[in-house]
Amino acid sequence: MGRTYNIIKYLCLLAWATFVVFPFLWALSTSFKDANAVTSGARYIPWVEFEPSVQGWTSLFASGSQGINIVQPFFNSASVTLLASIVSLGLGTLAAYGLSRFSYKAGFVKNSDITFFFISQRIMPPIVLAIPFFLMLKEIQALDTIFGLVIVYVALLLPIAVWVMTDFFASIPKELDEMAMIDGCTPIGAFFRVVLPNSTAGLVVAGMFCLIFGWNDFFFAFILTFTETQLLPVAIVSLNSSVTPWWSLSAFALISVTPLALIAIVVERFMSRGSLAGAFR
Amino acid sequence: MAEITLKNLGHSYFPQPKSEEDYALKPVNLVWEDGKTYALLGPSGCGKTTMLNIISGLLHPSDGQLLFDGRDVTNKTTSERNIAQVFQFPVIYTTKSVRRNLSFPLECRDWDPKKISGRVAEVSEMLELDDILDMPARRLSADQKQLISLGRGLVRDDVSAVLLDEPLTVIDPQMKFSLRRKLREINRQTGTTMILVTHDQSEAMSFADEVVVMKDGRVQQSGRPEQLFERPENTFVGYFIGSPPINLFNVDVKGDRLNCPALALTDLPRGDLGPGALQIGIRPDHLNFSDPSESNAVAMVEACENLGIDRIVSLRAANGELFKVKSRLRQKIDVGSKLGVSVAHKDVLVFQDGVLT
Ligand SMILES: Nc1ncnc2c1ncn2[C@@H]1O[C@H](COP(=O)(O)OP(=O)(O)O)[C@@H](O)[C@H]1O
Ligand SMILES: [Mg+2]
Repeated sequence: MGRTYNIIKYLCLLAWATFVVFPFLWALSTSFKDANAVTSGARYIPWVEFEPSVQGWTSLFASGSQGINIVQPFFNSASVTLLASIVSLGLGTLAAYGLSRFSYKAGFVKNSDITFFFISQRIMPPIVLAIPFFLMLKEIQALDTIFGLVIVYVALLLPIAVWVMTDFFASIPKELDEMAMIDGCTPIGAFFRVVLPNSTAGLVVAGMFCLIFGWNDFFFAFILTFTETQLLPVAIVSLNSSVTPWWSLSAFALISVTPLALIAIVVERFMSRGSLAGAFR
Repeated sequence: MAEITLKNLGHSYFPQPKSEEDYALKPVNLVWEDGKTYALLGPSGCGKTTMLNIISGLLHPSDGQLLFDGRDVTNKTTSERNIAQVFQFPVIYTTKSVRRNLSFPLECRDWDPKKISGRVAEVSEMLELDDILDMPARRLSADQKQLISLGRGLVRDDVSAVLLDEPLTVIDPQMKFSLRRKLREINRQTGTTMILVTHDQSEAMSFADEVVVMKDGRVQQSGRPEQLFERPENTFVGYFIGSPPINLFNVDVKGDRLNCPALALTDLPRGDLGPGALQIGIRPDHLNFSDPSESNAVAMVEACENLGIDRIVSLRAANGELFKVKSRLRQKIDVGSKLGVSVAHKDVLVFQDGVLT
């Protein structure tokens, strides 16, 4: 009985895993194909069904007419995403703590309205923001710079950080802060010495969201940069020509998904160690 | 260590309280003397936690002043007041070890490391936490966590007062008993004022030098346990203190005397009272069974509950009023049988509109 159950369980898991991993496998095999192998029907097994070629990969590190070099865009993307995420997480965490522990009132505006104001920034279609951002960055001569992109990305990521962290702080009983104050901390000390160390789970989740949204953004990177500061999603567009280079696109897709996948694996390890199981009581 | 004075101190959670109803703690004058143990007793929602949070500074009162040894501390921060407080549910720092949990209040106040480890050792030994000092605090059971909370409250020996907000709720009865004794011991040794919030009257009575009874945000009476028992200032205190609660009987007014038909009592002094509904209250502990043949009242047994050493007998008087008697006599009591009931005149309390005359 138990054995049959186990077999069925593993079969189901296997099916699901195949389903999830298949696009990656396909991208991996495509990245080693040439034009011939791509267009002449489905082929899976290298050396047997098609002759592998590394052209898809080399074209991403070439220069001139051979392809494009994605090393610089990769580091641009990484710097913009990391800087914007760190700033958003820092500011967002402080804002969220304020919103979760103190009552603000300005006319009819209360805490929930402020939180909604933050979230509403993400409800708006991004196209509405494109032109104002463009004009503002032009004014401060930050178009096509990392600095300018970081500013814009902070504006995009901050709502996410505030939202996730407000929710998270609401789940930490306020007795924890009160206890810290009884024990002799100032309100700010209570935040840094007691609440923040207890907030790893929330910080990790908010940080993940920031990294994912920042890393994957194409729209603003496309509009606010030209040639100097290319980000990864924009760089790939310039690969496109009259013949779509599926092999390069696949290699590119694998490269750009790798950092996020690595982060996901690390976070998953970290979470399953149980260090995030937040038992406050 | 300090004498804590509440001067017209009240609090409303509404920004603009309209009536007295809006006050979670109605303005009150009260003195917590230095070095005594107090119990703050009252039903849930009557404002006990509100009062403690005002004393510790977690809450700023909407009305009145708070004085420590005559100094106004109403606007002082929690850490400046140097108060220890333990909450109803354990609050621990999950990222720290048991040892760091206990030493945290001292580290925050920059104590000398040697003195810190000394105090932590003393407190952990007293609370029997010494063999788990280096465990991560989040791994412990609920009552061990509460012991840590308690330990953090007791680790500073220079506090103005220790406020305990129903800290023993989650702790098992055996441990509860010994903790209560330990808390009293600490109070005797160090002279630290302790205020224990509870809704359990036996806990209050056994712990405190003085008991303060609250209801609906208002202090009803404060005094030594036996005062509250013998002379409850109103029927609420009569009900709330003592188990089972006080019996109330209707009375007839005959000139300046009172008669109580249920207990066949006549000629009770009425005192110099104005108009108002009169009742008499008698503790179940003060009623005695006697022979039905004498000139006492006769009542019929409706139920009899055995508490081991005592019995609680529910009776119906000849005029239909119900009451209870707490008796230690070993005589046989059958449901449906008739018993004589008597009381000493000194144990009869007269209430006018619910207030002791
Ligand atoms: N933060 C708060 N905001 C509004 N009302 C509150 C708040 N805390 C307590 N109250 C109200 O104040 C009254 C007293 O509460 P509390 O002091 O917690 O009572 P107790 O500790 O005696 O159970 C209750 O009616 C409760 O609903
Ligand atoms: Mg309470």
